[in-house]
Amino acid sequence: MVLMAMMALVLGIFYGLSGMEWRLPDFLAAHSGWILYVLMFSVGISVGMHHGLLQKLREHHIKILIIPAGIIIASAIGGVFCSWITGYPLGQSIAAASGLGYYSFTGVAMNQIAGPEMGGIGFLSNLMREIFSFIVIPFAASRLNGYACIASAGATSEDTTLPMMIRYTDEETVVLSVINGILCSAAVPVLVPVFCGLS
Amino acid sequence: MLLLIVMGAGVLVGSCFFPEQWKKGNHVLQTVATLVIIFAMGVMLGRKENFLKDLSSLGLASFIFFVIPTVLSMLVVYSLTEKYMNKRKKQTLEKKQKQKK
Repeated sequence: MVLMAMMALVLGIFYGLSGMEWRLPDFLAAHSGWILYVLMFSVGISVGMHHGLLQKLREHHIKILIIPAGIIIASAIGGVFCSWITGYPLGQSIAAASGLGYYSFTGVAMNQIAGPEMGGIGFLSNLMREIFSFIVIPFAASRLNGYACIASAGATSEDTTLPMMIRYTDEETVVLSVINGILCSAAVPVLVPVFCGLS
Repeated sequence: MLLLIVMGAGVLVGSCFFPEQWKKGNHVLQTVATLVIIFAMGVMLGRKENFLKDLSSLGLASFIFFVIPTVLSMLVVYSLTEKYMNKRKKQTLEKKQKQKK
């Protein structure tokens, strides 16, 4: 599956770069949002067929927040280290790291607030996080735990990397993945401008 | 939010109406939809202006800004969840194993 996912990504990039305009690929690319809804419905069916799952989630209670909180705090600390290594301003570095894989927003926001160079770094570093997640999720699921997969995906755990979660973790982790993605996606538009403003 | 509602509808269908024999078909649908979404993401990236130029000029700094926060996130979440969330999972598993014995 990892190979197929990587091939799909590379094929998509080549197709996009080529400037070709074929009907089917263009239709699929333009309607990927609808395909995501189909996928989510299908995932919901899998979750619904897994009896006792809701009970398991209730057992975790407030501990569900450990995952997004851990991701946000650890990413911000990572931003401090990045600033120290690269010499970029501290606030902007934390902002780039706080993109949590939400590359479209982080790139645009940082471009406006901190200029094109930091905008480029914000975009690319978060894009790399998303691509890296595709590769690392299968290994993290077997060597660490399903929650570490969610940590790698960050804000993308509710959409683009969700299919990999479905494939390599269990139904409980998939539900936590969606919740985490929603919380992280809501946090990024707050965190990036706030940290950028610190510089 | 709409995603959650759609997923909730799926949960309802899965728990009440969905036939067990269609489980495999549902799994195939997930795989196909996954690959299409990933392909679409690639198309959007490839069509982004200056994608290759950005990749080559800011590549190293971007790599540092991606790898440190990502690895730290994974380590922190792994440690926290092993301590606070996996404990109960493991206890349940151990209990089940004891009951089997």
